[in-house]
Amino acid sequence: MRLIIRDDPQTASAYIAEYIIERIKTFNPTAARPFVLGLPTGSSPVLIYQHLVQRHKAGEISFRNVVTFNMDEYVGIPREHPESYHSFMYKHFFSHVDVRPENINILNGNAPDLEAECQAYEEKIANAGGIELFLGGIGPDGHIAFNEPGSSLKSRTRVKTLAYDTILANSRFFGHNMDQVPRMALTVGVQTVLEAREVVIIITGAHKALALQKCIEEGVNHMWTLSSLQLHPHPLIVIDEDATMELKVKTVRYFKSIEKVANDQGFRQMLPRIKKRDSVHEDDDSLSAPAPQCNGLSLSVPSRDISRSASPALEPMSARISDEEANVLPAVDLNSDLQFAPMSARVAV
Amino acid sequence: MPSAVRPDTAVVVSRRSGVIKFTNCLLVKGTDLVYEDLWISSVTGKILNGQEILYGHLTAPDEIIDLGGRILSPGLIDVQLNGAYGFDFSVIPEDGTMTYGKGVQQVNWNLVRGGVTSYLPTLTSQRPEVYHKALPYLGPSGSARDPALGSESLGAHCEGPFMSPMKNGIHNVDVLQTPHDGLSSLSACYGPSNLTPHAPSPIKLITLAPELPGALPAIQSLASMGIVASIGHSDATYEEAKTAVQAGATSITHLFNAMKPLHHRNPGIFGLLGTASSSISKPYFGIIADGIHIHPTTIKIAYNAHPEGLVLVTDAMRLAGMPDGVYDWTNGSRIVKKGALLTLEENGKIAGSSIELVDCVTNFLNWTGASVAEALKAVTETPARMLGLEGVKGLLREGADADLVVLDVLEGAVGEEKKVVVDQVWKFGVKVHDREDGREGERV
Repeated sequence: MRLIIRDDPQTASAYIAEYIIERIKTFNPTAARPFVLGLPTGSSPVLIYQHLVQRHKAGEISFRNVVTFNMDEYVGIPREHPESYHSFMYKHFFSHVDVRPENINILNGNAPDLEAECQAYEEKIANAGGIELFLGGIGPDGHIAFNEPGSSLKSRTRVKTLAYDTILANSRFFGHNMDQVPRMALTVGVQTVLEAREVVIIITGAHKALALQKCIEEGVNHMWTLSSLQLHPHPLIVIDEDATMELKVKTVRYFKSIEKVANDQGFRQMLPRIKKRDSVHEDDDSLSAPAPQCNGLSLSVPSRDISRSASPALEPMSARISDEEANVLPAVDLNSDLQFAPMSARVAV
Repeated sequence: MPSAVRPDTAVVVSRRSGVIKFTNCLLVKGTDLVYEDLWISSVTGKILNGQEILYGHLTAPDEIIDLGGRILSPGLIDVQLNGAYGFDFSVIPEDGTMTYGKGVQQVNWNLVRGGVTSYLPTLTSQRPEVYHKALPYLGPSGSARDPALGSESLGAHCEGPFMSPMKNGIHNVDVLQTPHDGLSSLSACYGPSNLTPHAPSPIKLITLAPELPGALPAIQSLASMGIVASIGHSDATYEEAKTAVQAGATSITHLFNAMKPLHHRNPGIFGLLGTASSSISKPYFGIIADGIHIHPTTIKIAYNAHPEGLVLVTDAMRLAGMPDGVYDWTNGSRIVKKGALLTLEENGKIAGSSIELVDCVTNFLNWTGASVAEALKAVTETPARMLGLEGVKGLLREGADADLVVLDVLEGAVGEEKKVVVDQVWKFGVKVHDREDGREGERV
């Protein structure tokens, strides 16, 4: 797990946007071998899209050979509805960039056979060679796509009934009219996301801090579906300071130190060298460890062990105190009650 | 590796779809400028729903036009234009109507360059034979949807001759008439083939004085035929004007000019803008914002009274678009043109307007403190609504005609003032004028 912490949503979003751009450029996609990108909707990714659009308009990145798959879509609202995810994607991304219309894939919430639509979507992803990078956000309850608490961590693209809380929360987008809010959605499953070669998650804001804490510091749990990311070989979570509110200080420091050390060593948070598919360049030096210096001097191997396990070392506080120091400390008899002097005793007579 | 590209892709990509996307531009939407893209089709000449094109037709734009942050507005509409570029709609040339038709075409070509993509060619009060000859050339001309024809007539505006002799303005008193027999009188004057119930008419708007005998039934008939009845050149009281609105009049022709001024005990026609009565809706009203016909403050008062009804018009005559100088006029008089100001040489009286519509927008902007979008609304959406052409003209809405102008607003052109400049004009989805091309042409 890579956890990148930035000061605010802007810089966190810019980090991800730059990351995606670099990934696409490194991949060097062609029409026959496109880069397959999974995309989310929602408030968190808006800034990422803005950044991508800006870079595209500056002529620095093309999405010509990028195939996109969106995570989810409501059932039963027209494609043209301003709250549909088709509209969201059009407004924030597709209308501004050069993704070919035929390369855009979004679940059709008005398909006559929803089950078949979901199955066909999984097949489309498979036919495209699987998703190279799945970008996502989470809800305050830790859900990824519409995989709300209790969703199977093995789930695939399917029809989901929305939780009452979600319907209630969404009613603000539908004129506060509960009857207008869709009750169902089509969504990729947790497993669909986990099968992407890389998963990148944006989490910003204090209201998502608890979900982040559950997913990072606690175990894999279907009540916080993002926690399944712990089972992914190469996840990246980018957050802002506000989202760290519920994390332990040492967790935050740990991940910051990892990033710092990696930067000092000249390799950033890059993909490990796994030749799983043809999607990774075999001759890409940026993916390998720093070349050893063979000048006869002592090699500047990393002074710290950066390959250790991802969890912070847990040791009792007392282990940090030497025996000598311990002897100097006054003994405390924990069995006897503390004797409190009355306040009046401090007043000079 | 299996390709995600669908088999029919090659077909979609190779075929020119004629879809054009304007980007990096401010769209005039309602009273706001919105930073959005606009999709149009150069094939159908209409505005498209970009989202539908993308998802439904899997079509990417053939051409993406970056407007560099400029304003993209619906094409301007002038509902009162008597002539321009040396041509007068009310004068039938001696060598016959062929020349007249060519003259109209010349005006259309010139007019579109100033951003006026559609208009009502306007006839001042004339003898019947002039209407009989002229009207067949002035009817709606957009059915061919041919951008090469230039500006499009939406139908003729007949300003008179059913008007008050007291408020004739520069119209010839001798030709004025009274509509004693209602619509029949009008038909007899304009020509039965030009004005018959249940038949298409080249006339879109008729300015008349409602206090004349027979005017009210005429207004009722016009309203039922879909022809706008506009109160003007009238000596009507507030009460008479209100009756006219109840009969179906929906507009006032060049408010304040050729009518009683506002008196606090008799508000006159202007009073319609302040009416609290629920029995009538406030009419649309034309305003000549040339700085000569009406004081800027008066325009602001009218706008505040009824912002949704204000329509900017030029009321320009044949000297509009001509260089400054001295021109021959009728009866041996001569007119001095200096900028937008036209005066009779012998006595210095105001002799009509020669302002361009976009300059009316500039004036309106600077005088009223309205936003750019609000000012543009008065030459796009509002006149289109007045003419019953909402959804076809005057709006950047899916299905409407892709008549567009690209505008630049120059800040501080004169002191704190703004100046609106027409950079490009598009008619039926095709670019018909570009200021930059024009400059290059001039250099050669």
